[in-house]
Amino acid sequence: MDARETLRMAGRSIRSHKLRSALTVIGVVIGIASVVTFASVGASVEADIVSEVGSSSASNVYVLPTPAGEGDDGPGFGGVSQPVFTEHDVKQLEKTKGVRQVLPRGNVRVSALTHANDTVSRNQITATTPASFPQDAIVAGRAFRSGAREAVVSRSARQAFESNLSVGDTLSIETEDGNATTVDVVGVVNRTAGQLPFASFAGQPRFYVPTDPFYERTLESPAVGASQRAYPQLTVVADPARVSTVKGSVQNYLAGSDAAELKPESVELTAQTSGDFVEEIQDIVGQVTRFVTAIAVIALVVAAIGIANIMLVSVAERTREIGIMKAVGARNRDVMGLFLAEATVLGAVGAVVGLPLGIAVSYGATVYAEVAFTPAYGWFVIAVAVGILVGVVAGLYPAWRAARVDPIDALRYE
Amino acid sequence: MSSTAGTSSADDSVVRLADVRKTYDLGGTVEALAGVSLALAAGSYTAVMGPSGSGKSTLLNLVGALDTPTEGRVTVADHDVGTDSEAERAGIRGTEIGFVFQTFNLMPRLDATENVALPLLFDDWSRERRRERARELLSLVGLGDRRDHRPNELSGGQRQRVAIARALAPDPAVVLADEPTGNIDTETGAEIMGLLDDVNARGNTVLLVTHERAIAEHADRIVHIRDGTIESIESLDGAGRDA
Ligand SMILES: Nc1ncnc2c1ncn2[C@@H]1O[C@H](COP(=O)(O)OP(=O)(O)OP(=O)(O)O)[C@@H](O)[C@H]1O
Ligand SMILES: [Mg+2]
Repeated sequence: MDARETLRMAGRSIRSHKLRSALTVIGVVIGIASVVTFASVGASVEADIVSEVGSSSASNVYVLPTPAGEGDDGPGFGGVSQPVFTEHDVKQLEKTKGVRQVLPRGNVRVSALTHANDTVSRNQITATTPASFPQDAIVAGRAFRSGAREAVVSRSARQAFESNLSVGDTLSIETEDGNATTVDVVGVVNRTAGQLPFASFAGQPRFYVPTDPFYERTLESPAVGASQRAYPQLTVVADPARVSTVKGSVQNYLAGSDAAELKPESVELTAQTSGDFVEEIQDIVGQVTRFVTAIAVIALVVAAIGIANIMLVSVAERTREIGIMKAVGARNRDVMGLFLAEATVLGAVGAVVGLPLGIAVSYGATVYAEVAFTPAYGWFVIAVAVGILVGVVAGLYPAWRAARVDPIDALRYE
Repeated sequence: MSSTAGTSSADDSVVRLADVRKTYDLGGTVEALAGVSLALAAGSYTAVMGPSGSGKSTLLNLVGALDTPTEGRVTVADHDVGTDSEAERAGIRGTEIGFVFQTFNLMPRLDATENVALPLLFDDWSRERRRERARELLSLVGLGDRRDHRPNELSGGQRQRVAIARALAPDPAVVLADEPTGNIDTETGAEIMGLLDDVNARGNTVLLVTHERAIAEHADRIVHIRDGTIESIESLDGAGRDA
């Protein structure tokens, strides 16, 4: 009996009990759809994060203190906000070969911001240097000047107040101790050169002021012996072709830096490229995806049990038919093939229905999460293959039972 | 009346049983057949009679390659039924044997044509040839107008006609009928027997199991078995045929 006839017969017997077959297939559909969904959403989130990091920060080396002893997974990006990098460190790093700029970054504690009589409460704003605003990042106006009472804001900051904030407006900054300073808004930016790879994710309003005169955290530099501004984070902008060399040089310098002397025991200094961050993110997303997908695989196992169960029922019900087929010349392997084909068709139909469903659901999920949809094509192929495999595996034992039916026994009783 | 088993007989035998034993082990051993030798000449018409449990069905199952002898040899059209190869035995059943059962044993979801064509499906005939052959045979058994009916849409007599057509499909060496009229009324039974007579008249070898004398008398000879052995072979010489 050839494969086509076997499939035809299998299809017939599936159609002869539609409801039961449909219910069995639903199990496979759910399994395949979940695998495809989780794999695709995972791939999309990962791809989105990677593209978010993009080229704008590809040549950045982030220098920051992180909690010590985090194991092999790298320092992680939960930095500790310890002002340890002195102006001396900034100067030294700027002299390092391959380094274009060193952008210090610190927080200024504030209590509120006021624009046109609308006051918004806020804990901190960012202090940095004018070099943080490259020309292509400026949407309107210009960068602030060092030493000036000026501010640059992010695009979303324009809507932070009741009346729109724009270049030329003034902003009143109320400090913790209750004093207020007025600054001129001189520019609007869509990113900063020193920002962490995923900073633009948040899209929240940001306000930037020059470190001079606003940033006041100081420490005595062990190298210079004088009090200097000290920052919790530096971004070293490297020559794009020499990012990894620069990372190495930075790490070397850090060992003998002011920061190394000033930092508490519990903290270590790290230099990470955005590539390091991407790897970490990929690692985490990958782990989550694998875990969730593994759970979805359980749904497939349940589906396989469903098929096996229904096939065993089918074999029991059709014992007499098996006897008839054998009496008229069916070989064991013909009978085996029939039942195996039936189980395989159930699995394949489940996969064929489950795949587009999974794609649709994962597409919906990415739209909802505002993440670009990246189909996990590899998983699509795997899902269909697994669906068919589930059918085959689930059908093996029932088909073997069917093949072993003794025609004399099967035909003896009415 | 002849009392010899006649195994040594002519080379034109299509079925031969030589000292066949079949025992079942169920705690003690049950000897269903205790040394049976018998030959069926091509085109012959043989009936087997005997009390319940005497081994009639066992004999038929051996000739039909559904079972293998414990001892001795069964051949059908020169194929050894005792072969260890299950596939080979299936092949014998599919091409050399035509079964007609008391309970019809048709596939409930297949229509008459498909039921008749079933043995040919396993013998790898093409779809077109299978259909053609099945239609031909259904016309032969008088069911040309019931081809598309499923078994549950047919009367008992019609079902048995479909079964006879199916038995003839592969042009078998022997047609085996186990109580073919057991599940139908006397009048329809007579029609079925008439059909089997026609089948034999067209040159097919027929082996029939029955416990009704009147049915057995359709054959050329009656093999009486008791306790797994042949008690006697009664030759009818056509006398009972048209009685
Ligand atoms: N599978 C089996 N296992 C054990 N014993 C069996 C088996 N099949 C048949 N027998 C025994 O073999 C003997 C012959 O059985 P068989 O079915 O051939 O009888 P029969 O002549 O066809 O009877 P009936 O007229 O009632 O159909 C019986 O004693 C029966 O119990
Ligand atoms: Mg019997």
